Amino acid sequence: MDRRTFVKAGCIGSASLLMQGLDPMIRADVAPPAAPPIELHGLPDYKPSPLGMPGLFPGRVIEVHEPNAIVRNRVSQPIVRQMLEHAMKELTGEKSAQAGWAKFVEPNDIVGIKINPSGAPACCSSPEILREIIASVKSVGVPAGNVLVYDRYSYEMDIGSYQVLLPPGVRIMGIQETFAGDAGYEPNVYCEADFFGEWETRSHMASIVAHEVTKIISVPTMKDHSASGVTGALKNLAYGTFNNVARTHRAPDSFTNPLIGLMCTVEPLRSKAVLHIMDGMRQVWHGGPLTQVQDFIDQAGILLVATDPVALDTIELEAIEMKRRERGAPSLWQHDANSITTESDDFYHNASKNLFFRQPGHIAAAGKLGLGVANLKQIDHRTLSA
Amino acid sequence: MLLKDNARTGGQGQHPARSPERAVWQFHSGSSVRSAPILEDGILYVASVSGVMHAIEVTTGKLKWKFQAAGQVHSTPSLSGNRVLFGCDDGKVYALDRPAGSKLWEAPTGAEVWASPVVRSGVVFFGSADARVYAIDAATGRTLWVQDLGGKIYSTIYASEQRLYLGCGDGRVYSLDSSSGETRWSTPTGNGIDSSPAVTGDLVLIGSEDFFFYAMNARTGEVRWKYETGLGIASSPAVSGDLTVVGSKDGFLYALESQTGRLRWKTAVGEVVTAPPVIGDGVVCIQAGGTFALDSATGSVVWRAALAGAVQSVPVLAGDTVYLASLSGEVYALR
Repeated sequence: MDRRTFVKAGCIGSASLLMQGLDPMIRADVAPPAAPPIELHGLPDYKPSPLGMPGLFPGRVIEVHEPNAIVRNRVSQPIVRQMLEHAMKELTGEKSAQAGWAKFVEPNDIVGIKINPSGAPACCSSPEILREIIASVKSVGVPAGNVLVYDRYSYEMDIGSYQVLLPPGVRIMGIQETFAGDAGYEPNVYCEADFFGEWETRSHMASIVAHEVTKIISVPTMKDHSASGVTGALKNLAYGTFNNVARTHRAPDSFTNPLIGLMCTVEPLRSKAVLHIMDGMRQVWHGGPLTQVQDFIDQAGILLVATDPVALDTIELEAIEMKRRERGAPSLWQHDANSITTESDDFYHNASKNLFFRQPGHIAAAGKLGLGVANLKQIDHRTLSA
Repeated sequence: MLLKDNARTGGQGQHPARSPERAVWQFHSGSSVRSAPILEDGILYVASVSGVMHAIEVTTGKLKWKFQAAGQVHSTPSLSGNRVLFGCDDGKVYALDRPAGSKLWEAPTGAEVWASPVVRSGVVFFGSADARVYAIDAATGRTLWVQDLGGKIYSTIYASEQRLYLGCGDGRVYSLDSSSGETRWSTPTGNGIDSSPAVTGDLVLIGSEDFFFYAMNARTGEVRWKYETGLGIASSPAVSGDLTVVGSKDGFLYALESQTGRLRWKTAVGEVVTAPPVIGDGVVCIQAGGTFALDSATGSVVWRAALAGAVQSVPVLAGDTVYLASLSGEVYALR
């Protein structure tokens, strides 16, 4: 029998959650509509893990910056290796990176590596970083056959050529072939809400997350997002694990806040996501998540590592905001009706235009749900060079 | 036979440089098609990802037969005599009887087979994601030899009389002895290789995920020239005369002089190009978020169709008809 783990909206109070999630600096030219009630149905009787979000090191974010990590749009695997080793030692306090990895994965784990291939090939999880993560996971005794690199859409993974670029033995898997169909999803684990009167009001969790993998290492990219403000650790997990999520934004409104954070609380996703390695080799400051326009993609050479997705995304949000200020683009928090366009070409080539009122408040809202630290002053943000 | 021949010129006949005006028929395959259709003797062979091989009569668009494999299929089928050959995610290569669609034999490997089997002198050659190259007796399915390489293989082999050429996930281009599988040479590139080689004269032509397109000496592996594009190259080249055409993930189609690597033209055809182009009579066709026909001399777009935005599929040019397969699983005959 199903156990409803959570939540009528009245429970969390959807409107109040929404408002709590919004930054006080918001220029609320247009008031967002209240979110509808949202029901969450996790895996019944799942025992939460202490490694689950916000994980072993709440509020800690390690940033490694090395400009030579990406040169002429090519990522250097040897430099990435050094960056990842430094970050893992700093995050965990261990003397060796291998000991650091051993805090998160054990030899008998089935390790899912959740990538973000949307936006490939211009900006997606770099195969060079994935190869280093796979090598690190193998270094603590996990066999290649127990490593599963996955995302929702097979065709997006194809564009990134992950199948050929990752080591033999590692499984590469798209949860679904195209946009339609619910094969590959667990019927009894879902989030339910009626946002815009859509026909299907449920979003189901991927079966491999519910039943197959025992640990998840998330590898989000560093990008703005037309609906959620940024797409980072939280959104990579939430909207890459549950299906039928595009329904949460219908121009110009977006209910990515609060749904992203709520989805991340659903077990077993929350418990299994033990580590977040943000690929900031490329930094998309406008046009995300799918842009291919290089004018808005900086080759930043950054790697961010954390167990706390909220703290990580807060740092990401600050970085994207700073980049937009430098380039004269409006804040991600701006809700100006004049900035909204229905023409995708206009959006992709004009940084002052957007398709939705972005909702970066989803990060703070996730903090309120206990997924991590959203207050910048409380985040232990350590910056290193490789 | 794969895309007509080893040079992958693709088309089955002359094709006028004009836009098709209507769909003669449309066939619902039932699931995504991410490989190329193959046409021979009035039958179009189309593999859908759900693992079904379809044989479609091109005069009517009606199904002649279908065969259900045990796994997903991303491999473009190839034809040899009365056999249809294709790889499968269940790790096997299947040989079907062309007239009836019944299974003749299956050859197992250790991982999925996305590359196409290629037949030369009665031997089937293909690579697998288990990092091995296989030589199989085309008549019986018996394994003749197996050769380990350094990475996954998604590149379709070019088979000459004595040599095989292919790219590998370890970033190397390999030349193997076709009778033994022994490596004759291997030449490194800067990243893994998804692209399949074409051979013209003494040149092996292939793209790499390191953004470069390479021309190598077929006998020695020495790099004759290389051409840099804006992103990785998963597309496989098409060759006609001294013209080599290949797509890049930067969204451009590049036409290079085969002997020198000099750029003749480049044309933006989509946000991303991963499919192989085909060259017909005066036109180059490519699927890249739609279907484009370009003047092969100038690169200017002759016509475009919003149909068939498949990631990896390839149009079949046949007389006055174009056959297209799409990511949504539709197969079209356009005239």
